[in-house]
Amino acid sequence: MTDVIQVTGLTKRFASLEAVKDVTFSVGENKIYGLLGRNGAGKTTIMQLLTGQDFATSGSIKVFGESPVENASVLQNISFIKESQRYPEDFKPKHVFRSAPWFFANWDAEFADRLIEQFRLPLDRKIKKLSRGQLSSIGVIVGLASRAPLTFFDEPYLGLDAVARQLFYDTLLADYAEHPRTVILSTHLIDEVANLLEHVIVIDEGRIIIDQDADSLRSTATNLVGTTKAVESFVAGREIMHRDGIGGLASVTVAGLSPQEKQQATAAGLELSAVSLQQLIVRRTNTSEKEFEQSA
Amino acid sequence: MTTTDTIVSRPSTPTSRILAVTKLHLANPWTIITLPWMILGIIFAASVVVWLLIHAAAGPQSFGETLEGTQWSGGLNYIFVYMMVVAVQAISITFPFALGYGVTRRDFYLGSAVTFVGLSAMYSLGLAILAEIEVATNGWGLGGTMFAPIYFGEGFFQRLFIFFVTHLFFFFVGSVFASIWVRWKATGVTAAILALGLLLLGVGAILTLTENWPAFGGFFVHFGFVGSYAWSLVLTVLAGLAGFFILRRATPKS
Repeated sequence: MTDVIQVTGLTKRFASLEAVKDVTFSVGENKIYGLLGRNGAGKTTIMQLLTGQDFATSGSIKVFGESPVENASVLQNISFIKESQRYPEDFKPKHVFRSAPWFFANWDAEFADRLIEQFRLPLDRKIKKLSRGQLSSIGVIVGLASRAPLTFFDEPYLGLDAVARQLFYDTLLADYAEHPRTVILSTHLIDEVANLLEHVIVIDEGRIIIDQDADSLRSTATNLVGTTKAVESFVAGREIMHRDGIGGLASVTVAGLSPQEKQQATAAGLELSAVSLQQLIVRRTNTSEKEFEQSA
Repeated sequence: MTTTDTIVSRPSTPTSRILAVTKLHLANPWTIITLPWMILGIIFAASVVVWLLIHAAAGPQSFGETLEGTQWSGGLNYIFVYMMVVAVQAISITFPFALGYGVTRRDFYLGSAVTFVGLSAMYSLGLAILAEIEVATNGWGLGGTMFAPIYFGEGFFQRLFIFFVTHLFFFFVGSVFASIWVRWKATGVTAAILALGLLLLGVGAILTLTENWPAFGGFFVHFGFVGSYAWSLVLTVLAGLAGFFILRRATPKS
């Protein structure tokens, strides 16, 4: 497999804060990655470092095999759509779509026109006067229609309603199937994008806590429901990620079970269900927080 | 392993990338071309009205001298300040936008510089032509002065040159302050203005203490009218270079 991005020992320190702490990971070609984590976890900083917009304190970043900083041959293959993108003074959406093809070799104007219609974006209104959702849809359309080999979406849907968000997800998936490229999507709406993601990188307090194939990640935990007694006797000695109980019933999330163990659980009268990506990440994030507290 | 099959080897040259930034600045010509000329037009129209009113009040006998004072007209000066604001906006607001398009800081700055030089040429040429017409028509038939005040020199080429270097000066002073803003925000701009103030104060103090003001004045006498304007190019180039190196390490923070 070819890697589009290779990051080794990356650290970014701001005056009073270490935003990214000794991070190492790689991004494979033509996959959709989720860069997930809580607000302030370091997602945006990592994206800014990967796109050469910010400078690393230490460590190495290779994008398409080279450092992205001030490197035109790398950067011209990148489209970076930010949550709160600012536009030049007095720009209207039509100016954005007129100028985008000058910078993106793969720009598809017909595709952009279709999206403008679907998102109902007014082209001839000053950007300053657009709603939050309309503003976001400009970014989403640029990110999709630019078809850059490496596309970053940093929380691109602020203010978009559920219909528009679904339109974005569906369009991204359909267009990605026809024009494979590497997409890195940062979000905290994990469940909404869970079906899009092929690979998940979870960052918490500047460290990577999960870097895993989405399918294998989902199979790392199972939810067990049953009588407290049956559940407790089954989970005794296992790694428990989460525990809930009402009256005589208990619900427990345990770390990965083998098919054999799953059979045993069913035989013990327990109900098994998959854990959603969001639950899984929330629980893993909590775990790591406790670990940090203990080690501190 | 580092080569991949989706990467586009775009037929892009440094020149084409720099010119793409220039086109980006000009994508919406309203703020930087249409509006300034409209404002100039309004100032001109207002001046004509004022000139007519003065003539009406002064009566026809003194036509020759009535509007002599307008040779010190400052009607044009707004355009230089406006262009400084244009440069500030072009650098500070378009910079984070262009970087999202995958533009390098180097190409962005050079493309902006090309834009500023081009705009300077356009405005200087337009103003120099209007000044010629003004002189040839004896102040638009009214004896008034707006485009050819005496401190912009005499004759087409002298005015063209002075307009040009003055525009360049304001554009690149605007660029350097915008670059400072992008890199260090308000703290940086405040510090820069303070430092500049102290520097000027220091120079003034030295000139006073060493009783060298006459020599300072002699400098301008020595280089003459056009020569003194030409020396502003030194400051312009310094500002342009400083802006470049400051912006090259700047990060687009929202």
